[in-house]
Amino acid sequence: MTMTTRREAMALISGALASTTLGGRAFAEGAPKKGGTLRISAPANPSSLDPATGGAGSDHAFLFTMYDTLTEWEFDTLKPKPGLAESWKFTDPTTLVLNIRSGVSFHDGTPLDAEAVKFNLDRNRSDAKSNIKADLLSVEAVEVTGPQQVTLKLKTPDTALPGILSDRAGMMVSPTALKAAEGGVVTRKPVGAGAYAFVSWADGEKIVVKRNEKYWKPDRPYPDGIEISIIPELTTGARSVSAGQNDLIYQLPPRQKAIIERAPSVKVVHGPTLYVLQIFLNWAKPPFDNVKIRQALNFAIDRESFVKAALAGLAEPAAMNLPKAHWAYDAEVAKLYPYDPDRARKLLAEAGFKEGTPIELGGYPDQDSVQRQEILIEQLRKAGIGVRFVNAPVAEASAAFFGAEKKGAGLLSAWTGRPDPSLTYSLMFTKDAYYNAGRAPVPSELEAAIKASRASEDIEIRRKAFSTVQRLVMENAFVAPLAFQFELVAMNKKVQGYRPNLLGKPKYDDVWLEN
Amino acid sequence: MARRSPVKVIGSRLVQALPVILLATFMVFALLKLVPGDIAVTLAGDNATDARITEIRQLYGLDRPFLVQYGAWLGHVAQGDLSQSLLTGEKVAVSIGRAFPNTLLIVVIALLLALVTGIPMGVLAAIKPNGWVDKLISMIASLGVAVPGFWLAMILVAEFSLKLNWLPATGAKSFSAAPIEAIRHALLPGIAIAAYGMAEVARQLRGALLEVLSSQYVRTLHAKGLSMSRILWQHGLKNVSVNLLTIISLLVNRMLAATVVIEAVFAIPGLGSLIVRGAIQRDFPIVQGVVFTMVVVVIAVNLITDLLCAAVDPRIEQ
Repeated sequence: MTMTTRREAMALISGALASTTLGGRAFAEGAPKKGGTLRISAPANPSSLDPATGGAGSDHAFLFTMYDTLTEWEFDTLKPKPGLAESWKFTDPTTLVLNIRSGVSFHDGTPLDAEAVKFNLDRNRSDAKSNIKADLLSVEAVEVTGPQQVTLKLKTPDTALPGILSDRAGMMVSPTALKAAEGGVVTRKPVGAGAYAFVSWADGEKIVVKRNEKYWKPDRPYPDGIEISIIPELTTGARSVSAGQNDLIYQLPPRQKAIIERAPSVKVVHGPTLYVLQIFLNWAKPPFDNVKIRQALNFAIDRESFVKAALAGLAEPAAMNLPKAHWAYDAEVAKLYPYDPDRARKLLAEAGFKEGTPIELGGYPDQDSVQRQEILIEQLRKAGIGVRFVNAPVAEASAAFFGAEKKGAGLLSAWTGRPDPSLTYSLMFTKDAYYNAGRAPVPSELEAAIKASRASEDIEIRRKAFSTVQRLVMENAFVAPLAFQFELVAMNKKVQGYRPNLLGKPKYDDVWLEN
Repeated sequence: MARRSPVKVIGSRLVQALPVILLATFMVFALLKLVPGDIAVTLAGDNATDARITEIRQLYGLDRPFLVQYGAWLGHVAQGDLSQSLLTGEKVAVSIGRAFPNTLLIVVIALLLALVTGIPMGVLAAIKPNGWVDKLISMIASLGVAVPGFWLAMILVAEFSLKLNWLPATGAKSFSAAPIEAIRHALLPGIAIAAYGMAEVARQLRGALLEVLSSQYVRTLHAKGLSMSRILWQHGLKNVSVNLLTIISLLVNRMLAATVVIEAVFAIPGLGSLIVRGAIQRDFPIVQGVVFTMVVVVIAVNLITDLLCAAVDPRIEQ
């Protein structure tokens, strides 16, 4: 990470802090103390509390409380840092040695040793019920090479692994609990080694966890427990915080900020995330099989205005799939598509595209999505691109676009971040990736560059590889990124120590409650 | 005509109910399968691959023919098992057992409120038709019908929760564990749904009373010198009780349906929230389970109503 981007990252973070209603002061008040129950409003019921079988990106907000991961990340840059593995080393490009912290045990008392880690990693990469086999595809074998040491033998060099092990694949579940569980899954009875131990889960209603008294991080966690109420209607969830029934709500839409700030007991923090609103394109069929039309689309979007109008300014215009604060961001790629409707028109003419020919895009019917669509329709119209949105609920629209039906030329949706950027790119921009809607080929240099991004541990080399990846994706205009939505969290003023993170999935590591 | 025994009536009605249950659950199942959107994709997770989705379909039996899947579900139900959520593995019966009391409490409160306000309004309106009281009441009733429940709900929350802080804005409490708290939580949603019910009771009751009051025997009662209030309370209401029972049963069914929206506004984990979550995620065992429960409740309400009507009015043949 160069100093410039580092500084930019810090500027963004401090900007986020300064913009709380209390200013920076709230974070400086008093020393952290133990006690109290943190009450949270969450937007979705988890799909499962077993990290290997779950599916939704929204699960992490629950999983992170109960499970610790082998590696963790820096909140502001997502660079991997030690977690349950106190250190790791690539002894050669295809051998990754993990040294596991001693003296840590799961909530049920099972020691977290090399055997336990091996058990988890093997399960994650080969169990029929595992959803994260693809994350660990590069692992050939997991060997116990010491009481607290595990060695991963790799099929191909894969330096994305330290990042990947900060996510589901690195969440350690008690082997005792797994062996005892029916079907070998702990969907409803999770036992991890995280800061909080599971108490109860009533579907669609509430999840309760309590402090892990034997947690390995000193003095953590501060609260006695967390009660997470599941309130899908975000307006309702926000009301529960302003009425004092809950202490914190995350994933608020930008339009809620002004409303919730009116409540005198509430403060708001926000920060950049990897969550990017974008138009997925199907480049296997007309009109987006023509690169010029894809490029025209990218020139035709005024991202600055979009952020102001659709997201109340609480977002960063997106020129690619990584935001400015990320360690692999490339400022040169960001310059590829300035807002230029004339250029877009010219490209359309070159492509022989008749101005105003309607293009059908998929979308979602909720209020925020429809507003975004209206703004885009207007922007694109100015460049001679007529789009028509066909809206359906998320599950339906996604299946129609990415699944067998191949409906629509594009889909206005979003991409949630991954701890290592190589996953983001391989999941969208390789030939048979599910999120490559047309399953159409990509330039061989791109596939090679994605591979290269995982071949070296040296962050400078990786950054260069990602520059190539991003440049190729954007030159080919395989996607039309719009904006990185900020994480918007509203909380009672008594909640202290909450920090947004770049992944955009809340972690409550340093949170404590004032009386 | 000889009257059949209630036991026989109930028995034959239950037999008639079977096809209704079958048809309703089959149609909902078919709808869920017909609309695009696939739970296998949800189950496969964020990092889905085509291969993984195919694997999931096999793992959960989602690749079997449609009728086989429905048959499998039906087979479980016949054994008293509503099966479990595909996504979270929670037993559907457990989810419903937890959600149903929350919904029921709202409906009961809404129904009581609707009757307590609607009946006096209907009677008052019928005493002097087209008088100013009648006009005022009919205006209020029109408002009650026209105002959307979710809007009223949000206004109620803004006023009574956020501003005055009298009642909680969201959530539900278990009635068996903390009855007073549970009622406090259910009051605002109950009021939001009751507005429509009140209007409906008032209008229907007024209409039915007017008809009774214009009949010949009431004229005779007037001629005998009975006071208006005695005619109204002793004869009038007795004669419209069948109408009232029918209104109540229709209301219960309608209010059950209204909870779907109201529960979302108040974040109440009831049947409505449950079926919405199930439908959005294409978690069909949940949807099927809730539909099944709703159908059974509706049939039961109708049956009880019919039996009560027959008990109140001997002229009704079952």
